[in-house]
Amino acid sequence: MASVLSDRLVGSVAAAPVAMKIVVAGGFAVGKTTLVGAISEIEPLRTEAEMTVESLGVDHPGPVSGAKTGTTVAMDFGRITIDDEMVLYLFGTPGQDRFWFLWDELVRGAVGAVVLVDTRRLQECFAAVDYFEHLGLPFVVAVNLFDGVATHHPREVRDALSVPANVPVVLCDARRRTHVQETLVLLVEAALRRVSGAA
Amino acid sequence: MAVNGPEPRLPRVVRPYVLTGGRTRARGPALALDATVCATASAPTRPLPSAPEASRIVELCIAPISVAELAGRMTLPVGVVRVLVGDLGSLGAVTVTPPTPIGAATDAGLLARLLDGIRAL
Ligand SMILES: Nc1nc2c(ncn2[C@@H]2O[C@H](COP(=O)(O)OP(=O)(O)O)[C@@H](O)[C@H]2O)c(=O)[nH]1
Ligand SMILES: [Mg+2]
Repeated sequence: MASVLSDRLVGSVAAAPVAMKIVVAGGFAVGKTTLVGAISEIEPLRTEAEMTVESLGVDHPGPVSGAKTGTTVAMDFGRITIDDEMVLYLFGTPGQDRFWFLWDELVRGAVGAVVLVDTRRLQECFAAVDYFEHLGLPFVVAVNLFDGVATHHPREVRDALSVPANVPVVLCDARRRTHVQETLVLLVEAALRRVSGAA
Repeated sequence: MAVNGPEPRLPRVVRPYVLTGGRTRARGPALALDATVCATASAPTRPLPSAPEASRIVELCIAPISVAELAGRMTLPVGVVRVLVGDLGSLGAVTVTPPTPIGAATDAGLLARLLDGIRAL
């Protein structure tokens, strides 16, 4: 077994790819896992991450201060090969709760975020929108089409959330790969505009 | 019961942190979720820990893999995988490449490449 393993390892010193990452945030059952699964080349993996305030070196007052063992947060992981040397990671995170700041680690170095919203529970995305805005991280608001029809125009959602003009608001059926693809395109375009000073 | 009898054996059920001897912190700097782990081509300097999880991690790392994906495939909490990978790293069985520098996310060239890639999916 060990020798089989080492045989397979011979000549397999592959270089680590350039890893870009995008965070998918949103309330419970808003379609995060569905969205990641619609575009990921692997089945979305569910991972439990234990985030401790202490290990992050963050001094946050509030409900979890003094927490030593941390909070366990479930997240979805998906992956897309972009080219020979670049890979995109998708991290789906429950972004509606008060432990959102524990995701500082996840967001560090991210290209941007997709905030998935269900217009029937719009308030569940407020924390995520605040958080990304505060960080200055590019994000798009993706309005999930739960009835398969647009019950709300993106403009209404934009007004309700009062997101700035440089934040795309888009309708997105999380089950449809092309919708998800277009959402990611809008996000990366927004990130590019911000880098080039156009927004 | 016949603990040392032949097959079939009970499935191995272990509370995750038992695998780490109760440790919740990895040796050395914390491993980011998007750090890349890769098995080394050379033999480890010391024998691997006997837990099957150790050799399973090394197998999963034959092609470079992120800490997050490793945890998902192992169905172990990220914290446990961090400790196990830290141990394997100090044994020379795997190497860990830190995440892509933060600057990549604001590099116009890399973003353009990413955009092309997503459009081409
Ligand atoms: N009609 C409709 N259902 C969806 C959509 N996205 C997700 N769902 C369904 O909503 C449920 C919750 O989705 P899930 O991805 O598990 O949500 P999560 O909790 O945010 O990960 C599942 O049964 C999905 O099939 C969508 O765009 N339209
Ligand atoms: Mg989910």
